[in-house]
Amino acid sequence: MRKTKVRLGIIGMGRMGITHYSIINSRPDVEITCVADTSQLVLTLLKKYVKGIEVFKDYNKLLKSGKVDAVMVCTPPNLNHDILKKAASESIHAFVEKPYMTSVSQGLEIKKTYEEKKLVNQVGYVNRFNDVFRKTRELVADGLLGDIYRFRSEMFSCTISQPDDGSGWRGARESGGGALFEMAAHAIDLVNYIMGTPDRVKGSALNKVYSKNVEDVVSSTFVYDNGITGTLYVNWCDHSYRKPTNKIEITGMYGRLLADQHSLKIYLKDANEEKQLRKGWNTIYITDLYKPVPFYVRGNEFTSQLYHFVDCIQNPDVPSECAFSDGMNTLNVIDNIFTDANEK
Amino acid sequence: MKQSIDKIVFGDNQFFGINHMSQEKAQQLAERFYDINNIFEVYQHAIDAGIKGFMLNSNDRAKDICEYFRSNSEKYGDLNWYPSIPYPHKYANLVAEKGIVPTLNEMLFKGNSAKGIVNMVTKGSMAVLGKDAIKMMQMLIDLEMKMFKGLNVKVVFLQNVITDLILGYEVQEVFESYCDYIRKKYKATPGFITQNMPYLKGKLEEWGIEEVVICSSFNKIGYLTSPSLNEFIDEANKNNPDKYHLMAMSTLASGALSAPDAYGFINEQNIQSVVFGASSKKNIDQTVSLIDL
Repeated sequence: MRKTKVRLGIIGMGRMGITHYSIINSRPDVEITCVADTSQLVLTLLKKYVKGIEVFKDYNKLLKSGKVDAVMVCTPPNLNHDILKKAASESIHAFVEKPYMTSVSQGLEIKKTYEEKKLVNQVGYVNRFNDVFRKTRELVADGLLGDIYRFRSEMFSCTISQPDDGSGWRGARESGGGALFEMAAHAIDLVNYIMGTPDRVKGSALNKVYSKNVEDVVSSTFVYDNGITGTLYVNWCDHSYRKPTNKIEITGMYGRLLADQHSLKIYLKDANEEKQLRKGWNTIYITDLYKPVPFYVRGNEFTSQLYHFVDCIQNPDVPSECAFSDGMNTLNVIDNIFTDANEK
Repeated sequence: MKQSIDKIVFGDNQFFGINHMSQEKAQQLAERFYDINNIFEVYQHAIDAGIKGFMLNSNDRAKDICEYFRSNSEKYGDLNWYPSIPYPHKYANLVAEKGIVPTLNEMLFKGNSAKGIVNMVTKGSMAVLGKDAIKMMQMLIDLEMKMFKGLNVKVVFLQNVITDLILGYEVQEVFESYCDYIRKKYKATPGFITQNMPYLKGKLEEWGIEEVVICSSFNKIGYLTSPSLNEFIDEANKNNPDKYHLMAMSTLASGALSAPDAYGFINEQNIQSVVFGASSKKNIDQTVSLIDL
């Protein structure tokens, strides 16, 4: 275990960068030394109010400053390849926001580089750090539902609530915008995390609601060689959701399970004494699984994922729970959906 | 504390489709409270139970609630209000759609255009103002507080997402300025809602900021009590209530605890107030009878 502080840089001080700063700054063995952003206003404010921080308009300068051991990359996804490539050449560990990358070939290249250089690498699929989804994965892996034959992964949010002219990065696929890269990536990663990566996708459809140039609704069917099938449905302009919400339903020979960020409902054909679950319906709430994190800003999972990144840097024996290889698996599925929907 | 703070404060999450444990329950409540008269009926139950303090988040529906109590001041003039600002999802969604700078532009200038500040709606004005986060914060506070005008405001709480986000940056000046502004402009006690009570309290002590209300989750099972329930209990025990008035929320841990169990624990702690939400007369009466601080 290293005893020295991890010197951290944050590239991209948008919504995620701002939150990540606040969370990880609470960790005593981390020192945020610099940030980079294109907004002069954001940089001016940080420089003025945050003691000892160095700010850069150009991320290249941050990466070459010699002041960072690790970076958090929270930029529009099309910039990730260049940033991560340069970070790797400076031997800087990297956490990158989802969807990791927008191009499969670039994603593979970066994954290979980080693995060869043995640099810590993590993608921000935050649901992997949610206590309910972790429990779901554990129960499924332990065979609670017996042989699984069907699942459904859904995600809803009200991210785009009115007609969008496509001028921002979220409104352009080239920059990594659109509901598939931005939102469905979470629902796909959750499938990969709990069920494994699908072998094929079929019947994919991308619909527009408010966006001019990108999809707002994503649906697809996932097929596995072992006979399991599942569906994906994601909508990022659903006004009935106050917060982004993931839902997953899994059906097997012994019963059915329904999970979201807050609760887990399980129906079992027969009682499972080992797991202390009865015949019929069982509900496990987040409050049953919850353990307080050291510093809370917007959900335990956000703190847990960033602390995990630092744990991996401080102790090389800690295996990554969401590495670039996991980001690559999700990117492959995304790519297959675009192809299947005839949008490539 | 110069001001007396109500021991029991009635909260508002139940009215706005917020339930941290169950989205189904949240939806049922949202349907029931679609008719604002059903909200007023619940408020009447709370008033009948002897409650005088009311916390209200500055969301769109709160405007109508404020208007109702303001226009019936002969009946409700003795009630105390505990606004929590801002409604964070409004900003979060705007930031997601537009980015930070356009959001601030829209909030600060578009929202105020009717008041004749419309001339400031230029990128230049944002650039000038942008260098002064404190001034921007004051303008945003005024924007959020507009709806509470004419009500008897005791404490103005900064909502936890914002408190904890800023706390992570450890910027003393922002906390100081918030407190000064709330005291001077609104003649109210500044308050902070947080999920990190021990850490926030430690920072406020370090910065010499006193006489504020700290509202945090506090419950027997330690739900939303970072870094740990034990540190919450210890911090409360060694607290001087004249400096920091502690208010407990999420006392039922989103429904994981029964009321007798929850308040059996709360009554043992060095806590000065409780804020709770309920939507039936039975639960309101029961909670009021159980709280013994």
